[in-house]
Amino acid sequence: MSVTAGDVLEGERRPGGPRPVTSGQMDALSDEQLVARLGGPEVEAAIARLYDRYCRTVFGVGLKMLGDRSLAEELTQEVFLKVWRSSGTFDSARGGFSTWLFRVTRSAALDLHRKRARRVHPVPEGDSQILAARDDSAGPQEIVDESWLTWRVSRALDALDAPYREVIELAYFGGLSQREISRRTGVPLGTVKTRTARAFKSLREELVLADAWRVATR
Amino acid sequence: MNRPERHPDLTAFVLGALDPEETEEIRRHLPSCSRCRSELEGLRKVNRALDAAPPPVDPPGHLKDEILTRLRAERESRTEYTEPGKPTSSGGQTKSPREGRLRLLSGAAAAVVVAFGIVFGLLRAEAPVVTVALVPTPEEAAGLDGYWGVAEIRPQPSDNQRVELRLNNFDEPEPDRYYELWFASGDRRISAGTFTSVGRGETRVWLNAPPEARSFDTLLITEERLDERASGTEVALKGKVP
Repeated sequence: MSVTAGDVLEGERRPGGPRPVTSGQMDALSDEQLVARLGGPEVEAAIARLYDRYCRTVFGVGLKMLGDRSLAEELTQEVFLKVWRSSGTFDSARGGFSTWLFRVTRSAALDLHRKRARRVHPVPEGDSQILAARDDSAGPQEIVDESWLTWRVSRALDALDAPYREVIELAYFGGLSQREISRRTGVPLGTVKTRTARAFKSLREELVLADAWRVATR
Repeated sequence: MNRPERHPDLTAFVLGALDPEETEEIRRHLPSCSRCRSELEGLRKVNRALDAAPPPVDPPGHLKDEILTRLRAERESRTEYTEPGKPTSSGGQTKSPREGRLRLLSGAAAAVVVAFGIVFGLLRAEAPVVTVALVPTPEEAAGLDGYWGVAEIRPQPSDNQRVELRLNNFDEPEPDRYYELWFASGDRRISAGTFTSVGRGETRVWLNAPPEARSFDTLLITEERLDERASGTEVALKGKVP
């Protein structure tokens, strides 16, 4: 007998926790349903699915915020472990998983930023003040200001199907012309143009739904 | 009357992805086409938003396995430490209602901590290199009910020192504050990282200290303020590294 989505949802309300599901069914679960499984025997499968869905965004936002690949890797590890450790504090009534994960990421990035800024500091005898070393990188407030927009744009890009995301990345980040993209990918020029226009339309629709749009265009 | 068709290269124009002659053609087209001029502003907004996009880089393939390995290790560690008959929490930290400010410790609680630290070290199958009992600083241990901590320090292949903190009844900090773990020796301190607490119950934190912290003889947990100009850093817990 097959298990329907309704059965899965019903399983979330069982006294003993969510009903176990197969690997294929795990893929169909929402983020929130996966979080509900982080306290049970399916924790590894659930965190692996959440990682697959969000690792690119967490790592990319970390790279953008911290400007260092090894710190972004450390951040990504810490964020997904914090998701597991703090899963009991997630309340879907207060917002979606993506928004909660953004807060976890921002908090972990600030922790790493502080850790990087403070290393070995001499403290005068008897002085309880801790001296903070300064560097020229962005301060915590700048990191926070930019991070929500970065998160939203990253999620909007991730929501695109791969062929559409590819043309945007090659044009915007790679600096390639439409003709160069066509040559590199082997996709006809007309298709490249169509994909680019549709990708922009989708991005616009995604961003318009979020306050990222207001922040980006003010 | 039908609106004129949008120029098919308008998006590529905004992206700067046209050849020079195609770009010039759009520039000539725009003054005579209100539809394209109107579309242009919306497309430029998307393009500006892309300025905030992270670089399109995938995390390294080994990262997922490392996360799962750490998760597995922490789960096993938790099972090992759980008292018989006492259920574990659903996540990594015990949840508790938000408490007020830091609670102070009685002398008896400090003794329990020391005993706990010793027993803790003896019970582990793979003994930690160093177990440190963390007790409130004397001026704060004014005989009120208790918070305490235990730190386990394990050298890593990279020469870093991995510190696992387990804090009991360590209150969640105010929104403008956070905690920081330090290795100290005389007048020198090395930060092992910052963290927050869940409050009542047990909080677990994993932090890393650089190799030079090996020679330091004291652990401190301080309460820090987000506004670094503000004074008033307090040492909440302290422990001697054997």
